[in-house]
Amino acid sequence: MAGRVIHGPALGWFAGAWRWLVTAPLLLLACCQHRDRIIVGSKNFTESDLLGEIVAQQIERRTGLRAERRFHLGGTFVCHQAITSGQIDLYVEYTGTAYTAVLKLPLLKEPDSLRRTVATEYARRFDLVWGTPFGFNNSFAILVRRADAERHGLRRISQLASLAPRWHAGFGYEFLERADGFPGLARLYGLRFAAPPTAMDLGLTYRALADGKVDVIAGNSTDGQVAALGLVALDDDRGYFPPYQAAPVVRARTLAAHPTLGAVLNELGGRISDTEMRRLNALADVEHRDIATVARTWLADHVP
Amino acid sequence: MALWGFYARNLDEVLHLVGQHLYLVTVSTALAIVLGLPLGVLLTRRPAWRTPVLGLANVLQTIPSLALFGFLIPLPFIGGIGATTAIVALVVYALLPIVRNTYTGIAAVDPAVREAARGMGMTDWQLLTQVELPLGGAVILAGVRVATVVSVGTATIAAAIGAGGLGVYIFRGVAVVDDTLILAGALPAALMALAADGLFGLAERRFTWRAG
Repeated sequence: MAGRVIHGPALGWFAGAWRWLVTAPLLLLACCQHRDRIIVGSKNFTESDLLGEIVAQQIERRTGLRAERRFHLGGTFVCHQAITSGQIDLYVEYTGTAYTAVLKLPLLKEPDSLRRTVATEYARRFDLVWGTPFGFNNSFAILVRRADAERHGLRRISQLASLAPRWHAGFGYEFLERADGFPGLARLYGLRFAAPPTAMDLGLTYRALADGKVDVIAGNSTDGQVAALGLVALDDDRGYFPPYQAAPVVRARTLAAHPTLGAVLNELGGRISDTEMRRLNALADVEHRDIATVARTWLADHVP
Repeated sequence: MALWGFYARNLDEVLHLVGQHLYLVTVSTALAIVLGLPLGVLLTRRPAWRTPVLGLANVLQTIPSLALFGFLIPLPFIGGIGATTAIVALVVYALLPIVRNTYTGIAAVDPAVREAARGMGMTDWQLLTQVELPLGGAVILAGVRVATVVSVGTATIAAAIGAGGLGVYIFRGVAVVDDTLILAGALPAALMALAADGLFGLAERRFTWRAG
């Protein structure tokens, strides 16, 4: 008897919760139409999360709008789908990535004309607007262990050609596949490794290199872990990699609904140098500081 | 459709990746059975171990694959980069359904039947092989079925550690923003999962007939 008394309401609660489970996602979708909040996305790595947080806090403190965070989405692909379908209002993208991976245009090395082309094409094809770049360039970085670099006097990628036949490489899928990735690099520098490079997750390549499972990887030049893991970046002495300037990409419709937003975002333009970005990434990745705190401190110090 | 064109152009590579995928799933599921079945039986004999062992299997299940790979890379024998590490991870993920269903299948055998078997003078081994395993077989097989089907899907993450498989297309497709590539990996994996599920479904029905 007692069991039944408890059972009734419990089941009712369960049915209620179940209904919520079904309707909650629909309500969330409906929220996207709300005009008093900006949904900020980011890609699935620290730097993107950090820049997303900086942008979100900048919006909150300057406009009084609420910034909703949808961080760590699965890379360029997911973010691009999310912004073109209106699930997010803005995220931080890199000019070189947009140019080669999204627009799939042939390589171009000159930063300004590349940025102009990207901005024009994004406006035309996707109704998206590029803001002013933050100032730093996050290029691919060919990384080796410091001990190896010192033993062989290795400082430039061109010196790698003679060592490559005895070495193993491990690269992320993006680097192996992209037009501005490994195939072109290998051709330009004449790189031929002992075996075809192992294709693996980008984050795991750092571990694999540090643990001696591979000898060469391609990381990001602004990565905070490079120094901490005892790795060094080789100089791209033949200028293979195009520029990758980070800038916010915003839906034109969002900008039209919030006229002050553009100026608020552009206030961040040119404020972060390569060294500064590397320092911020290291704070999050190496010292494990909370991203929101890192962003708040940086904004207070640099964009008062 | 773009997908068929892609398959036509890359037939050798597709077959190679399907082969790698099948290899990863078969080896890991076989190892998970070899480890999980005796472990499940052991839990029915040592009730005190049940909570810690199933708890551990539960916890292992929740470790994200990339984190698990990160832990495994520096380890000798079971680590590094390549198929070994991927198989270790797949075994870890396949253990829970097999151990749990083996335990549940045997524990659900009617105590009266077990008493009767003991009364007939059966040894513990005879009881296990002639009474408990046949009667719990359908439930145990259901566990293996779940483990296999889930493994087919999970094996796509092997591509993150240089072990190949159909995940290669999915990772590549995600990296270069290409729907066709993602589908090229996801579609055969889905078909493989359905086929595995169908095969085990047949086996299960057969098993139930025989046991009944």
